[in-house]
Amino acid sequence: MNNQDNLSRRRFLQLTATGLGSIYLLSQCSQPFSKWRFFTNAEARLMDAIADQIIPPDEWPGGRESGVTNFIDKQLAGPYVRYQEEYRKGLLAIQNSCETRFRKKFEELKWDEQTAFLELMEAGKMKEASWKDEFDKTFFALIRDHSMQGYYGSPRHGGNKNNVSYRMLQLDYPLIIGQNRYKS
Amino acid sequence: MINKSISRKLYLLVPAILVLVLIGFSIFYTYWNSASPSKTCASCHEIESSVNILFKSAHRELACKECHGTALSNGFHSLKEKGMMVVNHAKQDFADEIKLNEDQMLEVMDNCVRCHKSEQARWLSGGHSAKYKDIFLNKKHNTTEQLNFDCLRCHGMFSEVTIKELVEPLDIKGLWKFKDSKVADKPVIPCLACHQVHQEGFAHKNPDYASPQSAFYERKSNVSKASFYNRQDQTHVLAEDLPKLKLWEGERPVKVSDDPLMRNCIQCHAPAAHHQAGTSDDRTPRGVHEGISCLACHDPHSNDARRSCIKCHPAISNCKLDVTRMNTSYADAKSANNIHWVACSNCHKVKKPGME
Ligand code: HEC
Ligand code: HEC
Ligand code: HEC
Ligand code: HEC
Ligand code: HEC
Ligand code: HEC
Ligand code: HEC
Ligand code: HEC
Repeated sequence: MNNQDNLSRRRFLQLTATGLGSIYLLSQCSQPFSKWRFFTNAEARLMDAIADQIIPPDEWPGGRESGVTNFIDKQLAGPYVRYQEEYRKGLLAIQNSCETRFRKKFEELKWDEQTAFLELMEAGKMKEASWKDEFDKTFFALIRDHSMQGYYGSPRHGGNKNNVSYRMLQLDYPLIIGQNRYKS
Repeated sequence: MINKSISRKLYLLVPAILVLVLIGFSIFYTYWNSASPSKTCASCHEIESSVNILFKSAHRELACKECHGTALSNGFHSLKEKGMMVVNHAKQDFADEIKLNEDQMLEVMDNCVRCHKSEQARWLSGGHSAKYKDIFLNKKHNTTEQLNFDCLRCHGMFSEVTIKELVEPLDIKGLWKFKDSKVADKPVIPCLACHQVHQEGFAHKNPDYASPQSAFYERKSNVSKASFYNRQDQTHVLAEDLPKLKLWEGERPVKVSDDPLMRNCIQCHAPAAHHQAGTSDDRTPRGVHEGISCLACHDPHSNDARRSCIKCHPAISNCKLDVTRMNTSYADAKSANNIHWVACSNCHKVKKPGME
């Protein structure tokens, strides 16, 4: 605190520059842009729908509400950068296939249609060229695994919002453990 | 010659630029502090979700600056934070990564207590307002139990440094001192250890006076008044989302109150890992008070339990005596009958009516 109160000339310039910078960035902020790290808003909507298919909501929140999309997004911008390309390509392929088959986006399909679509992917039965070399199968497996990680992993990593899966499994979390008490 | 004229121009130019910059900055600053949060704060996505949830909270009526201050109200410190936000923005750091650090938490707390004076006064009068120096430089504790990272789970949970960076030496011989003496007087269990503000809640409202009897049915049951700050994940957990204690007295499972608020207390006042009653700091009521919540007796801020007995006694008293004068730790600190687990059989060797 103390030395910060002494406003040096350099500090003053830094501050004013920051102030000006903020004006600039503030105008950037008001443009519509993705609130995600890697996904576009459209991709995130699709991810939400898939996440709910993989972990359907019942009396407990499903994949979407428990933050699976946020988990995958956070990981793709971090430890999972290597999967970025696969996601971009795979999500686009899903929407393209839905467009040709139903003239709709995946998230606009009925629940059972979505399920059937993902079952085809899982079984490696997608016909479109973009799914060649069993990309349908591997991409489905990837999303499924990542969704599970998001749902069951630590909330620190972006999923498992409000410890939902821990509570569902009745895991005591945070653990109730007293301090190592000495005998007085 | 050339050099001279350049420097003369510079003499004029630099102040001119500075003045422009200053004007620009004050326009920005005035705008920032007067416009509605949805236009300023929320226009940057990092804090969009914080804004949205605040609008659903008990504090929905308040402006951000009521708690977070304006950029200049708490010195250039917070301006720097806002500046850093801009930098982070460019570096692609995101919403759930913006967290208040310990000093910011304490600055915010100074604002809480502007409005919540009575809670503050009570908190100050109880054990929970202990400071760093009370907890980490305690000779008796430190000579028996070596300081370790886990201490910070229950006191000092907002500390940004590890125990190693906090106190030295890390042994049971001492003498202990803080590496940074400024922490000594910080509270170890500030309001925000038990409260989360960006959290759904509801604002109270006037009842319909045409049918005041219906006021009861209009009230919602609100249990979300307390949370617990989980240092490991750096997030708050709502009391009702915390685990309920499973406790054993030998082989017998103890009946533990379902009160969600008690789960907050239990995170710190906890039994040892095997969950045997009475181990470590466990105070879970057994005996005559088994199944009763801590908050039936203790005030959540002062921890005072003095006035609580009258709420249930003497109407419920088997002994036809004034319970406050009976031989328990309520009346006498040296009594062997701890109020948390005294049982009928502790006082009655012969079976009395009402005893099992
Ligand atoms: C009643 C006091 C209060 C008000 C009003 C308030 N905040 Fe907060 N804010 C807090 C506290 C306390 C925290 C620490 C986390 C918590 O308790 O939710 C916090 C944390 C934050 C964080 C860090 C992210 C997080 O959740 O930890 C951001 C960003 C934030 N506030 C932005 C805002 C904005 C924007 C507004 C105005 C719309 C606002 N706050 C209004 C008290 C307040
Ligand atoms: C599980 C939470 C928890 C942990 C971990 C913990 N404490 Fe405590 N501490 C408490 C509680 C609860 C009390 C109040 C005890 C009581 O009066 O029943 C307390 C009280 C204290 C006191 C006051 C004096 C006393 O002994 O009651 C000191 C000093 C203290 N703790 C230091 C430490 C240190 C140092 C560590 C790490 C070695 C530590 N605590 C770890 C919960 C914890
Ligand atoms: C050890 C945990 C703890 C700490 C620390 C704590 N509180 Fe609380 N507070 C609670 C609990 C539990 C309740 C809920 C009481 C209830 O609903 O019966 C509560 C309730 C409240 C309420 C609502 C009161 C009402 O009648 O609705 C306010 C306001 C409040 N606290 C403010 C504060 C302030 C300000 C501080 C810091 C000076 C603080 N609290 C510190 C646990 C805590
Ligand atoms: C400008 C005044 C003001 C400030 C600052 C303020 N509060 Fe409050 N607070 C209120 C009011 C008014 C209510 C009652 C709202 C209602 O119930 O309608 C309230 C309610 C509460 C409650 C109980 C309701 C609930 O659901 O949580 C808690 C707990 C609380 N405040 C804690 C805090 C904490 C912690 C801070 C600091 C981060 C804080 N307050 C800052 C005015 C304030
Ligand atoms: C964040 C950890 C934490 C939580 C949560 C917590 N306590 Fe404590 N409590 C402590 C510590 C640490 C002390 C001892 C502090 C000291 O005196 O040095 C203490 C002391 C006490 C005391 C004895 C001192 C006094 O003021 O009478 C009581 C009673 C108490 N707590 C009750 C409660 C109740 C009831 C709750 C739940 C509403 C609760 N505590 C929640 C950590 C906690
Ligand atoms: C029946 C009322 C009652 C209930 C329920 C109760 N307490 Fe107490 N508590 C008291 C009284 C009275 C005292 C002061 C007398 C004493 O120290 O034994 C006290 C003292 C304490 C103390 C400090 C003194 C000591 O015993 O070392 C702590 C810590 C404490 N209580 C925590 C808790 C916690 C945590 C809970 C819930 C798990 C709880 N209490 C439930 C009445 C109660
Ligand atoms: C939430 C209600 C409640 C509160 C508050 C409460 N008690 Fe009790 N207490 C009971 C009940 C119920 C029994 C009877 C249990 C039974 O019959 O098995 C009891 C029994 C007792 C007994 C055994 C003797 C008798 O007359 O039954 C003592 C002693 C006692 N309480 C002391 C206290 C003291 C001292 C306080 C204040 C710190 C207190 N209690 C607060 C509910 C309460
Ligand atoms: C702290 C000690 C203490 C505890 C705990 C206690 N008692 Fe008593 N009780 C007494 C004393 C002292 C008397 C009065 C002398 C006597 O009759 O033995 C008494 C008297 C009684 C009486 C006779 C009342 C009358 O009509 O004269 C009954 C019945 C009784 N107790 C039942 C119980 C039951 C049931 C419990 C457990 C829920 C209990 N007591 C717990 C101390 C205790």
